[in-house]
Amino acid sequence: MKKLVSAPALFIGAGVFLITGLMLAFWYSPVDSSSMGFSQKIFYYHVPIAETALVAFGIAFVAAVAYLRTQDLKWDRLSYVSVRLGLLFSILVMITGMIWGKAAWDTWWAWEPRLTTFLLVCFLYAAYWVLRSVVDEEQRRATYAAVFAIIAFINVPITFFATRFLPEGLHPVVISAGGTGMEGSMFVSFFISMIGMTLLLVALTRRDLAIENLKDRVTDLKTSLGG
Amino acid sequence: MNSQRGGAIDQGAAGAPVRGWAQFKAIVRKDLIRELRTRDMIVSMILFVLLAMVIFHYAFSVKEGADLTYFTGGMLWVTFIFAMLLGLNRSFAQEKDEHCLDGLLLCPVDRVTIFLAKTVGNLVFLLIIQAVAVPVFTLFFIERSYLGDVLPFLIVLLLADVGICALGTLLATISMNTRSRDLLLPILLLPLIVPVLIAATGATTLIFAEGAGLADLLARVLFLLGFDAVFLVAAWGTYDFAIGE
Repeated sequence: MKKLVSAPALFIGAGVFLITGLMLAFWYSPVDSSSMGFSQKIFYYHVPIAETALVAFGIAFVAAVAYLRTQDLKWDRLSYVSVRLGLLFSILVMITGMIWGKAAWDTWWAWEPRLTTFLLVCFLYAAYWVLRSVVDEEQRRATYAAVFAIIAFINVPITFFATRFLPEGLHPVVISAGGTGMEGSMFVSFFISMIGMTLLLVALTRRDLAIENLKDRVTDLKTSLGG
Repeated sequence: MNSQRGGAIDQGAAGAPVRGWAQFKAIVRKDLIRELRTRDMIVSMILFVLLAMVIFHYAFSVKEGADLTYFTGGMLWVTFIFAMLLGLNRSFAQEKDEHCLDGLLLCPVDRVTIFLAKTVGNLVFLLIIQAVAVPVFTLFFIERSYLGDVLPFLIVLLLADVGICALGTLLATISMNTRSRDLLLPILLLPLIVPVLIAATGATTLIFAEGAGLADLLARVLFLLGFDAVFLVAAWGTYDFAIGE
């Protein structure tokens, strides 16, 4: 399973899809006819990043459950790496969201359900990070982190739902139960960016896992040398 | 002799497996007795809550005759959540410092029973504090007649408390076993209970500012109910790991 695709190939694949998506977004997809206008172009990266962040947290959740069931530290590493990448992507969501907000509504920050949810998600997984840093014993750290990763992931949709109780926001609802609300030519660019972003997540996850494994080996070797 | 042995076994069978319900009651009772003997926590928490309201009053009274009605829900729940953080930290600090929890873990008690008992114990403390704080709060801040809306408010109060206590108990158990102990709990708990805060604050403000409008209130009550159910189950499933071996 591990060597199905080589790591450079994944990065190159992600790059090809992301650049193609970007070019299509500008030269193939039409300028949005609604009030968004040209600023809507950021959508082709903003939304894939957001969905990739949620996928990363989902992987962290599944890995956390797997760790609690098996007590195998490889699942803890996967969970940790996924949370780290998810947090990185969430911060990118906030940054791209703020840029879009400034361009479309002339405000850097709006207390809008989706943006607010991602802000809380950032706090939530930052807390995960803090939790890991204050537990020394490896097994115990992995267990606590797994419990928190599970609770945090369950909390994400609940938070999103709760923010709907707040006064209505500005965010456009593009993908709803009624359909995608996108023209075909927009969807092609969006879909290609989506594939690119997902490949990037897979590539980064694999690279980070390799680094974590190497770190562990170094620690083991140091210990065996009596360091 | 046979009958004697049989009798002994019967007695053992009746005495040995203490049922979950009895264990649950015993743990709750132990926590309440311990607290009622010293009253440290209850007295400090009640004083803290009352002080917080006075502080809020001065912090928000920026203009003569300013209407605070739409801030009351927020004031109330921020106060309760901070009081709960103090209480949770203390309740587990004692357990840890005097190795009570180790003793409890050595007993043949289901971890889930410990979780439920601890949650109920914390819930009782929170309710005692609220029993003092809410009347004072209405005296301080609410001018309109609200007697007709007391029942919906109590429902909101109870549902929000259950959610806060269930998650609080789980996370306090984790944080007391880490290096930073009480410092960690707010960082872990606050982002998780933002949904409770949003729903409970909204409902409380609706009730006290406008009288309970049914549809809006019902949405929030159902949300709180769902939150409680989801996290009681989640905490139930993970507490075994949180409390350790």
